[in-house]
Amino acid sequence: MAESLFYLLIFPGISFQLVCGWFFEWFDRKLQARFQRRVGPRWFQPLADLLKLFSKEDLLPSGANEFAAAALPLVSLGAVLTAGVYVPIAGFSPASFEGDLIVIVFLLSVPTLAYYLAGIISAGIYSVLGGGRSLLQFFSYEVPLLVALSGPAVMAGSWSIREISSIQAEMGPFILFQPIGFILAVVGLIGKLKRSPLDIPKAKSEVVAGSLTEFGGVKLAIWNTVMNIQAVVGIFLLVNLYSSWSGIVAPVLAVPVFFLESVLMIFVLSAASAVFARLRIDQLAGLGWKVLVPLALLQLLVVILMGV
Amino acid sequence: MDKMNIPIGPQHPLLKEPLRLNIEISGERVLGGILRLGYVHRGIEKLAQTRNYNQNVSLTERVCGICSHVHTTTFCRAVEALLGLELPERVHYIRALMCEMERIHSHLLWLGILAKHIGLEMVFMHTWHDRESILDVMEELSGGRVAHAVNQIGGVRFDLDEDHGPMVDSTVKKLKVDYEELLDVIEHDTTLKARTQGIAPLSAEDMKKYCVVGPVARASGVDVDMRRDDPMPPYDKLDFQVITHPDGDAWSRTYVRLQEIRQSLHLCKQIIDDIPEGPISVRAPRKVPAGEVVMRSEAPRGELFYYLRSDGSEYPARLKIRTPTLPALGILPEQLSEIHIADIPVVLAGIDLCIACADR
Repeated sequence: MAESLFYLLIFPGISFQLVCGWFFEWFDRKLQARFQRRVGPRWFQPLADLLKLFSKEDLLPSGANEFAAAALPLVSLGAVLTAGVYVPIAGFSPASFEGDLIVIVFLLSVPTLAYYLAGIISAGIYSVLGGGRSLLQFFSYEVPLLVALSGPAVMAGSWSIREISSIQAEMGPFILFQPIGFILAVVGLIGKLKRSPLDIPKAKSEVVAGSLTEFGGVKLAIWNTVMNIQAVVGIFLLVNLYSSWSGIVAPVLAVPVFFLESVLMIFVLSAASAVFARLRIDQLAGLGWKVLVPLALLQLLVVILMGV
Repeated sequence: MDKMNIPIGPQHPLLKEPLRLNIEISGERVLGGILRLGYVHRGIEKLAQTRNYNQNVSLTERVCGICSHVHTTTFCRAVEALLGLELPERVHYIRALMCEMERIHSHLLWLGILAKHIGLEMVFMHTWHDRESILDVMEELSGGRVAHAVNQIGGVRFDLDEDHGPMVDSTVKKLKVDYEELLDVIEHDTTLKARTQGIAPLSAEDMKKYCVVGPVARASGVDVDMRRDDPMPPYDKLDFQVITHPDGDAWSRTYVRLQEIRQSLHLCKQIIDDIPEGPISVRAPRKVPAGEVVMRSEAPRGELFYYLRSDGSEYPARLKIRTPTLPALGILPEQLSEIHIADIPVVLAGIDLCIACADR
């Protein structure tokens, strides 16, 4: 009982996810700033922003559904935190079971659907536009992402992330065999996190802040936390699936290597948002279905043929 | 899908200056837009009639926050034409130098805004960093970053000393290097081209129909440039090209403005090399003889038009300012149809609206 509570509340549960989320956000903002010749925020800035939002007045336009507006961010937070418990950290996974990869992918989709609903219920034109866009974007990146993520599972012959992660000690990191799949997964992750260049649902110059235009105060703070933890879980997931070194390097180095890889992933995401312009939604749909899906299927075919 | 109206402005993250667009959409398609102006109307033309000519130099400086120098230059040239003043050569060179630096910083500012609108924050920050070095030079020369207070009727208010020439020279050299990098991004970045190429192209006939001037018209292949067509003094002795592009879309506007930065850097270099020695002002009487005059110059956004009528007193009888943004606003409704919502920022940025100029 005490052990389970520790797993849920401290590590790898809520506290650890929150701290990682703040650190990743800070590191991302610092990197972006350096790319742009700015100094960037100090280390406590994400926490300070969160506290400031907590102290702000919480307003919603008349006509918005108050209950749904409060429930949606909490449901999303619950979903991403649950997903966080199931992702192994450097080989450590207290709650692993066969098929948890599918559960995590499903749980990570909950915030996107909640984001869409948040746009519909908050009674603003930009929110409706942003919500519609988030759903369109979901249909463009989700299929290639799922097909790409099934590559490591097929290769390892298991749908448990811990199995996939540990089998790489024998077979070698999967990124060497599935480079295309890895790139597709990164693109899918960028789409899932609504990060630039795929920040179409919340493009400032087009739809102000998308679904979250009318949100403020505590609700916005929770939404931001959801996005942060979604990023943490997504990055840990990709590191586990494609480049798990925990069984290869010495046990002492397993944790540092894991976090180094995660930080490298943030670097990749930051660089992508620095060098690419935001795509239009029709361009993204074209890219998703004409380029990413065929590539993902091709990668899967290669993986299956390798196994035969 | 049902039709919806989305309001853009007067306050919106897209806009740097107040303007209202009521855009009708269906899904992600834009069906049309209605424009409303006048949020920054300050009555400058009427105000000018209650100020004397010297005071009006300061007033016209405040028409625009970006191209303030070219406004005072045009106004002073109009008054000087009525007075029949012969200015020393050095005055023309100093005015032209400031004009060209203003064009460079205006175009860099614009490029940054376009990049920001399409999600290229890095290009935004880098162009504005380059722009700072030009603003530093302008501040060093004149004392002002935005309102430079360079002109007075009959001359300019500061002289270049021996340090200023090398300073302009080194900044021009540095900017030429940065410029090549920017040009590389604009010419080769796939996502930037995907967002700007083929967006709401307008033909040269459309441009002529709406009397559009400046880089927007030149990007549609209309070969107009007041520096060449109606040159104020130093430009007839200087060597530069008028850049045109046949496509008329947002990308060609970007390309034209970038090439114009190169021409302006080239002009700055020539001005610094060729500037003659001599006095920097002549004495001008307070009263201006009766008469009327039209003066045109090439502002960063195109032809700037000043009409001035004097009744022989210390105060102008009428001052009419037509800024290049005013005709450009006319093509906006035409462009805002059959595009995506995501193209609205590109279209708006492509025109390089200066609402303060247009509203006066």
